[in-house]
This record gives sequence, structure tokens and C-alpha cells, in this order.
Amino acid sequence: MNKCLLCLLTLLCLISCKEKTTTEDTAKSHNSNNLSYATKFAIDGTKLIVLEPWPGALQSRTYEFETPPKRIVVTSTTHLPYLELLGLEDKLVGFVGTDYITSENINKRLAKGTIKEVGTNGAINLELLLSCQPDVVIVFDMGNESATLDKISAAGIPIIYNADFLENSALGRAEWIKFFGALFDVSDSANAIFDQIANRYNELKSLTDNLIDKPKIFSGVMYGDAWFLPGGQNWSAQFLKDAGGTYIWGNDATSGWLEVSFEAVLNKARTADFWIGVASINSLTELAAQDLRYTYFEAYQKGNIFNYNKRLGPHGGFDFFESAYARPDLVLADLIGILHPELLPDHEFYYFQKLP
Amino acid sequence: MITQYFDSSTKKWQRILSGLSLLLVILFGINISLGSVAIPMYSILDYFSGKELENPSWYLILAQFRIPKAITALLVGGGLGICGLQMQTLFRNPMAGPFILGISSGSGLGVAIAIFLGVELGGLFEFSGIARSWLMVVMAGMGSFIVLIGISLASLRLKNSVTLLILGLMFGTAASALISILQFFSQAESIQAYMMWSFGSLGSLSWDELTVFIPIILFGMLLSLGLSKSLNALLLGANYAQSMGVSLTVIRLLIIINTSILAGTITAFCGPIAFFGIAMPHIARMLFNTTNHLLLTPLIILMGGLLMLTFDTIAQLPGVDATLPINAVTALFGAPFVIYLLMRKRNIQYTYD
Repeated sequence: MNKCLLCLLTLLCLISCKEKTTTEDTAKSHNSNNLSYATKFAIDGTKLIVLEPWPGALQSRTYEFETPPKRIVVTSTTHLPYLELLGLEDKLVGFVGTDYITSENINKRLAKGTIKEVGTNGAINLELLLSCQPDVVIVFDMGNESATLDKISAAGIPIIYNADFLENSALGRAEWIKFFGALFDVSDSANAIFDQIANRYNELKSLTDNLIDKPKIFSGVMYGDAWFLPGGQNWSAQFLKDAGGTYIWGNDATSGWLEVSFEAVLNKARTADFWIGVASINSLTELAAQDLRYTYFEAYQKGNIFNYNKRLGPHGGFDFFESAYARPDLVLADLIGILHPELLPDHEFYYFQKLP
Repeated sequence: MITQYFDSSTKKWQRILSGLSLLLVILFGINISLGSVAIPMYSILDYFSGKELENPSWYLILAQFRIPKAITALLVGGGLGICGLQMQTLFRNPMAGPFILGISSGSGLGVAIAIFLGVELGGLFEFSGIARSWLMVVMAGMGSFIVLIGISLASLRLKNSVTLLILGLMFGTAASALISILQFFSQAESIQAYMMWSFGSLGSLSWDELTVFIPIILFGMLLSLGLSKSLNALLLGANYAQSMGVSLTVIRLLIIINTSILAGTITAFCGPIAFFGIAMPHIARMLFNTTNHLLLTPLIILMGGLLMLTFDTIAQLPGVDATLPINAVTALFGAPFVIYLLMRKRNIQYTYD
């Protein structure tokens, strides 16, 4: 049971976690360089500064390396696309929970044995980690991992905190490619890749600027007593807005997740046009099988329900939770394709699919 | 004799039982009037008089959410209380209850096997809601039956009641461990499906599932009313029961089957609910000062439903979008109540041994 909860919370937190925005001022003072959206880290010459290493952290962490690492272990699937975009997969020697990986490239390396699994279910196995002899481990801490993480540094392996999940803007999160760029001394190509992604995102966003018809959207499913849906300031809520939609809970001030009762969702969202994001559910039949009352929504009756499960890994991991954070342009294009197909006539969906 | 005592105060008990029933109806009404969405009182009255409601969402909320949930709460509260009562008498142990003796974990394991196999082999969601509900009930019932039989066989050897509790705990932990291992070897997709089921709650039953749930629980309740007399005999001791002409093996088996059906079905549909099974019998015994099962069984059915409805009303947090998990509410409000009763009575030694 504990593990279930952990899984669920990890899934949820991967999308967005609660954050405190007190570090904004410090971010600006460090931001002499070229960070335009990210607020949780800074690059100062050769120094890499993580301003809020974990939720609510009071002190920043500064990292400086004489030579870029040759052997690296990362702990979240969200770290992988940055490495791949920068062409640094060959530096990766270990990963925690390889079952969740979707990337074909990385899975090939796993099969060959050049990447080793160093723990499962989010728990790092220290012995396996040591046997990989990494120069550095990229970790993330949602607030209670410090005991395990301290052991890694005690064993002599430097750890670097990655707090990309604390960013609350889509481009801010994607900008963490520059974090890996600085670490491996390939900042120029990181900047170029990010600019391309950001330009594409802003171009797409400007398509929806003057729309008058903004369809109403809701999201999420029931887990036990509560319907989990993104708060109005959540990473995914911003996408819905940028894609020219009206997220029904868009005026809410929460950046994390809301737990709402079924009847409250039905009351507000029964007449909504679209239902986007229904966890692992893959068909309308399956949705009705979970709870017959899902069929009362007009979005169900019109068949306007989408999930983000088009791309799955060999063991059932969702690519959406792996690469979407690094590629907000693809996510936005998909969402515009759903809400306003006339704007992107030949669009082929990348992450999202309509429930059959 | 119990029967004489019963005859002499029939009137008093009739009054108590009808009073409780009336209270139950009132609480049922309050429960469906309150919720996250504020529905005006006149709309609720309109609903019951069959008139059209001004807001179609309200109609759906009342007919498909609040009423099924209130019925579920009513049956779950009573059902779990009965399970606890029967187990406490069967094992002659005031600490017994479906949750503590690992019965809930056993049925949880049954459900987990059904889901993981179902998702892994495919096709679980192709079943109709009713067929799937039956599958869950059968698997959960089997899970709890196996654990109960195990404990009962052990109880023939182990006379010490504390040893029996430890044994139950072991069964429960082993079942939970098996679920974790199943999860470990399952795909992310089936884990998520299992999570959605295991988070089951009072509100997760639709009418389709209720067509399975209501008859089973009512059958279990009727069976337990029928078993009350034998339970009284058991309470007085095995030798006494035998001298009364009660076949011990048959009675014990019937009680075990009855408890498995009730606990298994409830766990299959609503997930494990702590506290109720163990506490309800004590609450009823202490409040009404009786150990007569002919009275305790209907009292617990009514009181259990009553308390569960109350807890559910609190859990809905009327007027707020959010809800609390029912388990948190039962424990938070139930525990102090039991502690208060215990402090007042000072002991819970009824006529065990």
C-alpha cells in the first residue's frame, strides 16, 4: 500500500510539485547569463548554482567542476531527454528504475549493458551505484530523500541536485537543458537547442492569441475518494491556456494538485467540451468500466477524451512523463491539434491520442 | 436465562430499535442533503416527489452519487460491525476484528490477484460492470475465507487468544507482502489500475455494482440474525453449547462463511476500512449494556449504519470541493469515542472465559 501511494505521488509530483517562490530575487541577481524562463537555477561563469535544490530549501547549492564528468548516473526519466538532446547518452552509466524508460536509444544501451540499473522503484541501491563508478550522480529530492542521498556523498560520489520539477512554467522547465549543458561544458549547443524549442513554443502560442472560441477543458480521474486534477497554476494548466483553451479550474491559485469530490467535478465540468488526461485509461469502455458515472460528462458522450499514452516504453512507462518536460513545443502542438485542429491542419499527434 | 430476560424487556428493546431506525432515516436524509455541491433543500424535496429539477447536474448528483453512497455507507457500517461481533465471539477475544486478524488483507490479496491477472492477460475491462463486480466479490470472499479458515484451524491448537492475534497479524502481513511482490513484477499499467481499485471508497459504487452489493450484504445480515442464538450459546462456552445440542463444527463453519462473505465483499468494493469492525461491537455492548446476540446483532446493524452515515457526512466536508478519506474520519472521530467508553467502563471483560 505504501508503495502504491509512493508511485502515485511520484507520478503526480513529476508533473508538478508545490513550490515557494521566495527565491525569485536571488534568481534575478544571478541571472546575468542567458536564462530567460527558469527560476530555480543559475549559471555564473563556470559555476552551476541550484537555487532551490528541494521544495522549500532555504539555501542554494553551488557546483563547480574542473573537468566535465565522464561517467554519470541520473535518477529520473525526466533527466534523460536533456542528455539525449545534447548527444550525451554515452556518458550515462546508470539509472534508477529502468522499467520506466521509453527512449529507444537508452533502452538499446540498457540491453547492451552499457547502462546499468542501480536500484528500482525510486530507491537507489548504494552497492550497485558504487560498482558503476560514476563521477557524479544527478539526484532529485521531493523533500524526504536526504538520508539516502547523504549516504551517496558519504561514499565519495558527488551528488548534484536537479530541481527542474519545481519550475512552474513550461519553458522554465525545458530550460534545464542548460543545466546539463553547463555541467558538460556544452552550453552553446544547449542554448541553441533551447532557443529553437522556445521559439517554436512561442510561435505556436501566438497562433491562439486572437481566438475568441476557447473550449472548456477538464482533466484527471478519481482515485478513491478524490478526483485529482491540476491546480490553476500547475505546469499542465498553463499548457491548456496557451493552447487556446479554458481550463475550468484555471482561476485556482494552487500550483500543485487539487483533490475534489466527484460531484463537484460533475457540477462544474459536465458540459465541458474536452477531457484531457485520464491517467492510464486507454478506451472509453475502460473508462466506463472504472466508474459508470464517467459517462455523464458531455465530453464522454461526444467522445472528446484524450490521454497522453500514445508513446509507451517496452515496460509500460509513459514517454509523456519522460520527454514532455524537455519538449513543451511538442506538447503544445498536440494540445492545439486537439482544441483547434483548424490551426494545425496536418498535425500528427506525438504524445496524445483520442480514446477509441 | 437469556430468553426470560429478553421477554421481560421486549417493550424496552422494541422502543430502542425503532428509535434507532428513525434516527437512521433522519441521518440518511441529512447525508444526502449535504455535499461539496450545495443543492437547495427544495430541490431535494422536488427530487423525492418526482419533479423535474432546475439543474440536471443536481439530479445526477442526487440519483447517481449521494443516494448510492448513503446506501453503501449504511450497509458497510452494519456489515463490518457484524463481522467484528461474530469474530469476537467465535475466537472469544475482544481484540478480534476483520482488519486486525488479516481478513481484509486476505480479501485484498484476492482482489489484487484478479486485477493483476486480468490486466496482464487483458480483458478485465471488457467484462460488464456486473460481471466484474462478481469476479471481485468471489476473489475477495475466497481470500478472506482462506485466511479465516487458517486462523480457525490454528485456534484449535492455540488456546491463548493473544497468540491467535499475533497469528492473524502474520497472515495479514504475509498477504500484504504478496501484494507488494505482485506489484513488483507487474507492469506500470496494471499497478495504476490496481491503485485505482485499492483506493476504493464508499462513493465508488454505482448502481450497477450496488445490484451485486446490496443482496450479498443483506443476505449476510439475515444469516447473522439467524446465527445469533448459536452465538449466544458459543459465548457461554463450547461445552455449554454442545449440551444445548448445537453442532459446534457446523456453527463455526457457518460463522466463518458469513464473516468471509461480509468482510470480503465490503473490502472488494470499498477497500480496507479500519476501526469499524473491532469497535462497533464494543460500542454497542457498552452503550446498551447487553451481551445477548439476539439484541446485539440488530443493534450493531443499526448503530453501524448510523455511525458510518455520520462519518461519511463529516468526510464530505459540506460546502467545500475537497473530501476527506473515510478511513481518517472513522479513526479520528471513532477512537476518542471508544476511549471515552472504555474509561467509563474501565474494562471490556464480558463473559469471555
